Amino acid sequence: MKVLLVEDEKELLQSMVTFLKESGMVCEQATDLSSALEKIDLYDYDCIVLDIGLPDGNGLTLIEEMQKKEHKTGIVIVSARNSLDDRLTGLNIGADDYITKPFYMPELTARIKSVVRRRTFEGKREITYHELRVLPDEMVMYVNDKMISLTKKEHELLMYLLSNPNKVLTKESIAEHLWGDHADMADSFDFIYSHIKNLRKKITDNGGKDYLKSVYGVGYKFSGE
Amino acid sequence: MKLLNLTNRYYIVIALFLLLISVSFLTYRVIYLMDKEISDHMRYEKMQIEKQIALQPGIQDQPFVIGDRIQIDPIPKFTTFKVILRDTTVLLSEEGKILKVPYRILSYEQLISNKSYRITLWRRLTENRDLGRGLVSTIILVAVDIIACFYFLNRWFSSKVWRPFYRAINVLKKFDLQKGGRVLFQRSNVEEFNTLNAELTKLTDKVTRDYRNLREFTENMSHETQTPLAIIRSKLELLLQSENLKEEQIGHIRSTLDSVNRLSKMNKSLILLTRIENEQYATEDLVPLGQLLRNQLESLDVFIESKELHVQTHIDDDISVRMNQHLADILLTNLLSNAIKYSTRGGELNIMLTTQRLVISNSGPPMTIPGEQIFERFKKGDSPDSVGLGLAIVKKIGGHCNLQLHYEYTNGMHCFFVEFRPERVVVRTV
Repeated sequence: MKVLLVEDEKELLQSMVTFLKESGMVCEQATDLSSALEKIDLYDYDCIVLDIGLPDGNGLTLIEEMQKKEHKTGIVIVSARNSLDDRLTGLNIGADDYITKPFYMPELTARIKSVVRRRTFEGKREITYHELRVLPDEMVMYVNDKMISLTKKEHELLMYLLSNPNKVLTKESIAEHLWGDHADMADSFDFIYSHIKNLRKKITDNGGKDYLKSVYGVGYKFSGE
Repeated sequence: MKLLNLTNRYYIVIALFLLLISVSFLTYRVIYLMDKEISDHMRYEKMQIEKQIALQPGIQDQPFVIGDRIQIDPIPKFTTFKVILRDTTVLLSEEGKILKVPYRILSYEQLISNKSYRITLWRRLTENRDLGRGLVSTIILVAVDIIACFYFLNRWFSSKVWRPFYRAINVLKKFDLQKGGRVLFQRSNVEEFNTLNAELTKLTDKVTRDYRNLREFTENMSHETQTPLAIIRSKLELLLQSENLKEEQIGHIRSTLDSVNRLSKMNKSLILLTRIENEQYATEDLVPLGQLLRNQLESLDVFIESKELHVQTHIDDDISVRMNQHLADILLTNLLSNAIKYSTRGGELNIMLTTQRLVISNSGPPMTIPGEQIFERFKKGDSPDSVGLGLAIVKKIGGHCNLQLHYEYTNGMHCFFVEFRPERVVVRTV
């Protein structure tokens, strides 16, 4: 998966590149609008992660430029301004998703993967991990081809974990992924724990391996190692 | 006390004081002058009598009258040259009544043709007294008239003079810092008022500018902080992915991440607050609050269940309120999550929506901060995790969307009231 990261904050860009590379993506970077425009002219990307506040112009220009040609590239807008207008404009002119700073890295990974999955209709949309198989739009998973139904939250949680295998995911990032604005509700961590427990049980009871590892005090890790 | 009343009060007090002094003085003078006049006249009469006696010797034995009455009595021996002038009262019978009549007497002894006589002149004083009294009362009447006249004139005049002042006050009353805008004063002919207005304009301009700057600063500050926060968080997350971290190191990363989260949440809330202040949510829709409430309750379902809350709802689904959709969403989210967060396990959560108001109440122990402070920024009870801006946002939204908010603690229930303005409520009729 080839991703173009457009971000003028070099440190943040560096973090994104490191994290996404570890997640198995091929990353290219641009720190301003002109070099980004140059890059999209020369190469095709599966996804562009675009900061709209760039030193030499508004990132939205790049989306408009992309729309002029036929493309399959998914676009995720990154903005420091959690403004409804920005979000609507961005999504209206052709962006696929919108994420506000400060974001969690695994969340960005999950968003990119989800956008790319939606964009590539021909490709297989299901996600497999060893004996596990999950479809993005169905509340089920397959363990060794045995269908097991999931609750909505369990499904969302599993998708998030599968988007970030071998990564330590903090409870906060999971909570925000599952509940968005309600993430800071009391007990939300307890819910994560119970969802994780149920999910683990559903996998192991049906002959799957226990991939869900808890990282003490921090969160969880989905790992086959 | 109003300025006009104050000036008039001083005026009246001073005028009455002056009136008292001048009337007493006048009275004294009038009486004195009239008195003197009578005495002088009587002395003149005395001279007349002396002249007559000198011209016509023997006249003393005939009765003749100058003034009211003249009495010439022979006396045995001449004793003094002294002239006695004094007042006395004479009892007179007039129209069948006995009256005490005041008289003045001028009495002296004279030798006429070697015989001693006492000559006494009588002068009735009643007319003079009446005249004096009449004069004084006329003076008082006129003076009172003048004072009254001046009083009303002064009132009218002052109100005319001070009119620009009152106009300026009205202009200032209408000035709203939140809405900004310039204050416009009418020019007046009085230089002082123009100076005052100019200074007020300068002052309000400065306040508006400062306020705008402060708002911009808060907004910029919050925005600019997001990027460094994003960097910190990303680095911490990368750090967290490294192999062989010690438990202690993980602990440090964890608590740093927690602080970053708090900062980030606070920032988001502050940005929202400044956005509302900057009128960035000006669009209004008809928001079906009942529907919105049900949606929110559904998404909060897990949290309600986990706290084993007994939810009671009385929601009138036909009600829509004219307000910003996004703000309505935030308002309900904040109120509901607040209620869930602070209610006791197994407690009650009541939601009532009528055409007049929305009431969200939850059971819980009383707060450690006074009830009226609950909507203030960074005021939080015993909850160290919360940022303390949720209800400040609720309050701000209330102010922005013309909703009246208040809080009460009754019978162990925290009750939040959101009162609607009747003209903003639309009831759907089937």
